[in-house]
Amino acid sequence: MRFRREAPIGPDPEMSAPARRAADARWAPRLKWGLLGLALLAAIWLPFVVSSFWVNLATQALFFGLFALAINLISGYGGMITLGHAGMLGVAGYGLGILTVDEGWSLGAAVGAALVAAAVASAFFGILAVRTRGTYFVMITLAEGMVVWGIAQRWQELTGGENGITGIPKPGFATEYWEFYYLVLAVVVVCVVLLARLVRSPFGLSLKGIREGEDRLASLGYNVTLHKLLAFTISGTLAGVAGVLLAMHNNFIGPSDVFFLASADGLLMAILGGIGTLSGALVGSAIVVFIQNEVSTFVDRWQTILGIVFVVVILFAPGGIVGTWTRMVWVPLLRRLGAHEEAAQAETAATGAAPTVGAARSAPAASTAGERRTEGAVQVGSRQEEG
Amino acid sequence: VTLHEFWLQLLNGITLGALLFLVSSGFTLIFGLMRIVNLAQGSLYLVGGYVGLSTIRATDSFLLAVLAGAAAAAALGFVMERGLLRLVRGQPMSEILLTVGISFIVADLALATWGGDPETLPVPQAIDTSTSIFGLTYPVFRIVVVAVAVVVAIALWLLLERTRTGAMVRAGVDDQETAAALGINIKAVFTAVFVLGALLAGLAGVVGGAYLSIFPGADVEILVYSLVVVVVGGLGSLRGAIVGSLLVGLTYVYGQTLVPDLAYFVLFAPMALILLVRPQGLFGRAG
Repeated sequence: MRFRREAPIGPDPEMSAPARRAADARWAPRLKWGLLGLALLAAIWLPFVVSSFWVNLATQALFFGLFALAINLISGYGGMITLGHAGMLGVAGYGLGILTVDEGWSLGAAVGAALVAAAVASAFFGILAVRTRGTYFVMITLAEGMVVWGIAQRWQELTGGENGITGIPKPGFATEYWEFYYLVLAVVVVCVVLLARLVRSPFGLSLKGIREGEDRLASLGYNVTLHKLLAFTISGTLAGVAGVLLAMHNNFIGPSDVFFLASADGLLMAILGGIGTLSGALVGSAIVVFIQNEVSTFVDRWQTILGIVFVVVILFAPGGIVGTWTRMVWVPLLRRLGAHEEAAQAETAATGAAPTVGAARSAPAASTAGERRTEGAVQVGSRQEEG
Repeated sequence: VTLHEFWLQLLNGITLGALLFLVSSGFTLIFGLMRIVNLAQGSLYLVGGYVGLSTIRATDSFLLAVLAGAAAAAALGFVMERGLLRLVRGQPMSEILLTVGISFIVADLALATWGGDPETLPVPQAIDTSTSIFGLTYPVFRIVVVAVAVVVAIALWLLLERTRTGAMVRAGVDDQETAAALGINIKAVFTAVFVLGALLAGLAGVVGGAYLSIFPGADVEILVYSLVVVVVGGLGSLRGAIVGSLLVGLTYVYGQTLVPDLAYFVLFAPMALILLVRPQGLFGRAG
């Protein structure tokens, strides 16, 4: 009964209240926040210690991390795997490019309009996609993303076709590489804080409920379709923010930024880092960006490496790096130090979404007709549901 | 659009539809039995096309190219099914993501092996002419493509509906557990169907390489076409694949004539429409 684990875990009734409090030291969440604070300090310090090359990589890791976070919101928390999110990123990126370069808008107004465009586009795509679930949802989002690619690649007049749009400006206050880095860092931190609040809100909890059992939530009277549509739109808009930052960073947007591979890369980042965790998306993007930029100078076939990483993670570590870290290191550590409640929460949070993308550990591996499992049917998309 | 052009594009649409049917029939067959959405179907197409290209360069024989391309894709399909997909049987999301990972690898290795330039397979001389059909001059090769698709469609129908193997597949589609309990080796049936689907994609790759040309990214393009085909026609339905292919082929070709910039965009109109009205597709089973 995975659904119940998600509910806030209260004190164990069998234990007396004082004993419980003593056992569950309050340092555990503080330790986590402390680590996050340290990471943020390190991020702020970064431009002082490394060269512009690495700062540029970090900038990319941040906005791609935001992209992966956007994917993570619907795929990790909502359980709807999308392979078309580069389309939303592209709507905003191209919107910014067309408005600033071709139409001569001021940057601020163009950014606003580009984000509105991304929100509208994702609402529209969402209306079509959320009518379906499971594998159908994957196929439809893939096709939707490729619609945007089709326009980017073929509608020469509007999008510049294969040449894309060059000369997209950075804001006047962030033209230096380190200034732009801080801008991206600030935007990402704000988005992460908002997302962290969102996923812990009643809306976020019902989203997880949809992941665990859409029909159950529907029978409880939730408007599942509306929840999914909202999540899709928020996620698409966030991808749009990433798209705006990407277009500014590269001073360019082109069809390859919108292609299927870009969507799949984003999903890979989210899964590699740890699907259903906020920190995972950033970890995953850092690794993928590193492979794409740094490893590619030594190995031509970095795309193959990404593919192999993809396969290995799906097969052996569906919880990703953060999920595995939590399971192997963090939870045992908390348990050893006596914070059992915190440990249970951390375990649920970090591994709850893993079955969405990988093997459901609780399910018997030998089941050939796995999809007809009635219990733990986390993988939406059984025949009855899809028709 | 002149009347002449209208008829010409009708033929072109049917030809493209025939090619799409070759890819999407394999796709829909695999899904129908195994519930696997094989996003590496485009990669199998790509491998088929490129292996066909190399074969034709080495041997000058289009027939050998078709055989080699189809065999290469089938072999890759065998490895995928036995080596990877079997490990996550019954977990649709793992399966779908695995096929994405595989498509990364195949696309990159194909780029390393065959380079980044678009290549066109030479059409065999015997059918590299034009003929008059309904008063229109039309390349014989394209008529052959349609004929191949018709033959494949009939063969698949006969295989599924009229043979013992087909009965086993249908039994598997309806109820895997009971089929297995009745002594059908369902795992072998799975592998056979997956390999058959891959083989069809490889065949389509060689044909498509001669008709459209083959290039990095062709895998994703053809995959997206097939996705639209099966979403329109209904996933898992052979009849849906036929109707969907024709619909998508015609939409694309007419779209390209009328609004060339937006042809790819127009392609998705039938999909959006179908999704709003009938989410399970024209011939999909109701949910």
